[in-house]
Amino acid sequence: MKKILALLLITIILSSCEKDDICADESTPRLILEFYDVSNPSTLKSVLNLKVKGDGAPDFIVFNAALPATDPNRYLFNGNKLALPLKIDGTTTKYSLVLNSTNVTASNEDFLQFNYTSQNVFVSRACGYKTIFQLDSPVAIIVTDEETPESFWIQNDNINVQNYSIITENEAHVKILF
Amino acid sequence: MKHMLRFSFSICFVLLSFLGNAQEQTEIKNDSTVAPVKKERYGLRIGVDLFRLTRSFYEKNYRGLELTGDYRVTRKHYLAAEIGNEDKTVDDDQINFTTKGTYLKVGFDFNSYQNWLDMENIISVGLRYGVSSFSQTRNSYQIYNPNQYFGISPVIIDGTQFDGLSAQWIEVVAGMKAEVFQNIFIGFSFRLNRLISQKRPDNFDNLYIPGFNRTYNGDFGVGFNYTVSYFIPLYKSTVKINDKEKQKK
Repeated sequence: MKKILALLLITIILSSCEKDDICADESTPRLILEFYDVSNPSTLKSVLNLKVKGDGAPDFIVFNAALPATDPNRYLFNGNKLALPLKIDGTTTKYSLVLNSTNVTASNEDFLQFNYTSQNVFVSRACGYKTIFQLDSPVAIIVTDEETPESFWIQNDNINVQNYSIITENEAHVKILF
Repeated sequence: MKHMLRFSFSICFVLLSFLGNAQEQTEIKNDSTVAPVKKERYGLRIGVDLFRLTRSFYEKNYRGLELTGDYRVTRKHYLAAEIGNEDKTVDDDQINFTTKGTYLKVGFDFNSYQNWLDMENIISVGLRYGVSSFSQTRNSYQIYNPNQYFGISPVIIDGTQFDGLSAQWIEVVAGMKAEVFQNIFIGFSFRLNRLISQKRPDNFDNLYIPGFNRTYNGDFGVGFNYTVSYFIPLYKSTVKINDKEKQKK
């Protein structure tokens, strides 16, 4: 009788902790860009007031979500590690990166196009699937200038792909010297 | 005085006759406990799981049937088996899939209940070894993407079928059966399952296994059934007196 009661208890306990329905596992990774100083390639260098917009996206990427929606400073990025989402249903994602965007004369817009293939990988019941990416080799990234040409702030030679496989966000995938 | 003697004599006589009676009665009693031999019925019990059967009616995404059977081997041990078929569609937030398959569970039950008189009720614990052969169809899924900068990720309609999947597991069963009419038993059981091995589909997982039910992280599962069964008596066996005496002590 005691055995049966113990078994029933275990059953009830197990059935009550059923909720593994919240996705806590790793999901679709973003592409991580790291910016370094071109004159001293081993030191990180922060970009100043960078505005980023993806081709086909409705708006600039929000970096300061805490600010109100009307504040233009929401879209400004100051830092050396930039995470860019890639389109999960395509093979290219193009981004416009505007350096010094708040300064009309000094602002400089360059385009980065990422070429890749994607794969959907099963994660868990709660998360379903995630997409992982493999950057095309050797031409993973194409840099282009805006229509009225100005100098590039990102030089093609100064882009170093560190990791062609984008599986996690733990390490930088691309290093950019400027 | 004469009367007195007669009275005492008759009293003694009556008392003696009582004594005789009493002796006779005790003798009869002793005989009656030994003489009628207690016999217990052995046979095959066949049943159906009402829980799965009714679920098929009220749950649109589920169809299942389970037949159960047990055979009494000794006074307390039963060989037990379940065979079933399930077809279940699970609609989770991120994924929708259908599992179809057949399963077989074989094992034994140990009746730990001491019945009164000729009752045949059972409160049992047991073990089962389960195998299942099934297929999974991934109907649709969604990419989990917390960075929905390019919009919400669409639901991908898929329909890929993964055939030839299998799983093996051990079940610990606790249950009871009660005879409600002549030879008709109603019972239920709770089951705790532990996966031993499984063949997983490529880039997917066995989120539901027929017979095992929903899988949890860590290979554990739970089950339940509610059965109506019919007992087919095959032969009777005498309960040994030794057994009874042992139990009395």
